[in-house]
Amino acid sequence: MFQVAGGRALPVARLLAPRGGARVESVRGRKSRSDPPARSKEGRLKVPPPVDPVEMVVLKERFTEYQLIMRALRLEFKEEVLRKKYEEETGSLAEERARQEAQEHQILMAWNDAENLRMLKLRQLRVQKETEEAEHRKQEVILQREQEMQTFIQEKEQEILQLQEEAKNFITLENLDERIEAALDNPRNYNYAIDRDGRVVRRTVLN
Amino acid sequence: MPMKGRFPIRRTLEYLQKGDLIFKNQVKIMTVNYNTSGELSEGARKFVFFNIPQIQYKNPWVQVVMFKNMTPSPFLKFYLNDGEQVLVDVEGKDHQRIMQHVKKILGKSEEVLHIEALAKMQESNPANFGPKKYCLKECICEVEGQVPCPGTTPLPKELTGKYRTQMAASQE
Repeated sequence: MFQVAGGRALPVARLLAPRGGARVESVRGRKSRSDPPARSKEGRLKVPPPVDPVEMVVLKERFTEYQLIMRALRLEFKEEVLRKKYEEETGSLAEERARQEAQEHQILMAWNDAENLRMLKLRQLRVQKETEEAEHRKQEVILQREQEMQTFIQEKEQEILQLQEEAKNFITLENLDERIEAALDNPRNYNYAIDRDGRVVRRTVLN
Repeated sequence: MPMKGRFPIRRTLEYLQKGDLIFKNQVKIMTVNYNTSGELSEGARKFVFFNIPQIQYKNPWVQVVMFKNMTPSPFLKFYLNDGEQVLVDVEGKDHQRIMQHVKKILGKSEEVLHIEALAKMQESNPANFGPKKYCLKECICEVEGQVPCPGTTPLPKELTGKYRTQMAASQE
């Protein structure tokens, strides 16, 4: 009957243990162990109840038969439960089920791996694109810097040219005398007023 | 009195019981690696924020561990009973899609859940009498409307076997 492996004995034993464990504590009542019996109980002879032998024999037969049947029934039911449990866990059907589950598991894992590969490819593409864009931007920045340098240089060249142009009109030691003479010959009159619209007024104030 | 925290609905029983991801018996540990910033980790963050409570509620015996900012890309890893590790890449995915994916590969299917529910109902069959651990009632005397337990109130004489045998014997 006990086809159960050692490891699984405990929960099964719990399943099949007699229900309602006999747990009756002896109650001593009012008197303790050392108290003497009562005076009214002096001379009392405790006699067991009388037994009729014929009845006893008949009862014994009936009881043995009854107990046999009950025990057999109980054991039958216990065995059924154990067998069901065993079938559930290590029967042929269970093996089929386990195999099928393993197969399904493998299929799902394969699908998951495929998904992971797909994500990997996407990620690689994305990373590649990002590096390309970063390169592109760096190049652009370099170009822009160069362009700015160029414009700066050109502006400075312009200024230099302008300065050179103006330098032709400067007053130097050679043409100092001529310029003084020219200035003295052409007096410029700054005695005029100008308003916001640019209209010039050359009249003097009448007193 | 208003509820505390952002999205306090995540802490309600109704929300938790709505979770429909129940792991297979082999799954023991679930690990989530995600980042606190970055567009690609957004789905993983939402998954952790909204779906992890539901998962943990439905799978109290599965260890769920979260790691932040350890890797450049987010992923989930499951450790099964036989030492197998299942890696799920979740970069750029939406939290609902992640949930569906995980449910498909490692969740108990609808049929299995249905069978388990039926088995549970069979166990709690009110027609079974036995120990309190396995059945609802121990004796028919506990059911309302039935004859009360002779241990508490004595049965009327006519229903006792002793009286009936006496009557049968006296009639013969």
